[in-house]
Amino acid sequence: MRKKTGLGQKKELDAQLNLTPFIDLLSTCVCFLLITAVWIEIGTVEVKQSHGTSAAQEKKESYDLDLVFKDPTEMRLNLKKNGKRVKSFKVKDESFEGMLSQLNQTITGQVLTFKKKTIEIATATVTPRSTVDYGSLISTLDVLRKNKIVNIGVLTARGN
Amino acid sequence: MILNQSMVAADAFEKHLINRRRKKHWGLKAAGFTLMLTSMVDMFSMLVVFLLQTFSSSPEILVTKGVELPDSITPSVVKEAPVLAISRDGNLYLDQQLVGPTKDVAKKPNELLKKLNVIKKNWAKSHTTPFTGEINLQADRDIKSTVVAQIMGILTSSQFQSIELAVVGHR
Repeated sequence: MRKKTGLGQKKELDAQLNLTPFIDLLSTCVCFLLITAVWIEIGTVEVKQSHGTSAAQEKKESYDLDLVFKDPTEMRLNLKKNGKRVKSFKVKDESFEGMLSQLNQTITGQVLTFKKKTIEIATATVTPRSTVDYGSLISTLDVLRKNKIVNIGVLTARGN
Repeated sequence: MILNQSMVAADAFEKHLINRRRKKHWGLKAAGFTLMLTSMVDMFSMLVVFLLQTFSSSPEILVTKGVELPDSITPSVVKEAPVLAISRDGNLYLDQQLVGPTKDVAKKPNELLKKLNVIKKNWAKSHTTPFTGEINLQADRDIKSTVVAQIMGILTSSQFQSIELAVVGHR
């Protein structure tokens, strides 16, 4: 489209986009991004082993939590202060998913608000069983991390 | 690309293409070939935007063959560290190299400890900071959790205290 200016000269208003380098650039970008694309997001769940490690030295004088698997659908929670058990909770359900839900409710409702006071869990340790698979262990750690309990250790089970 | 059929108002490249077509298919009915540039550029642009959004610059670790990682809803970013893997067939790999059957290693961890010590020595050579004790542990989701715990115990005894359990993130 051309438009007459006040001086009577014709001036081009439309800019022409050179399509060839534009498509070249887009193709190169698409190829590079497709090659470097990450389709599965790999993450990590950090575990600090608290037996004789630096994690134990960082422990504050607050409550600790022990989670002991009895079987995939039953677990016992021991709330400890200075190494002494102050309260024990039993978590059980018919399915593993139900047990996880119960665990979440117990931690939120009874552990983190112990004796109507908000408490801090310095460290949590999980003792697995051979009947519990690794995927279930990670799901249990997820429940703890969801409740902002991040100093987690996994103990070696003595009995099966 | 839609080519002008007339030589008038055609640029040099278009003229070349028209001439070539005329020479090639002289007397034949011209087969029409059109490429919708607008749609193509639209598609390319959308692809580039989508791929740029999903682009990740965080370090990636190679998942060992035979390991199906468990899912997690609270994943953290992967750190660059040695990778220890426990596969479904019961073998233990350190940085993609076979160490041995996990059961045997759990009973006699000498070879694993030796390899871990080599990693620690290499760390001390290349770093001025104290050893962080970080290691990535990949384990199949269906193996017994006690087996993983045993291997974690060995790692802890070898000063690898910050163990990153590899998971597939689902936020």
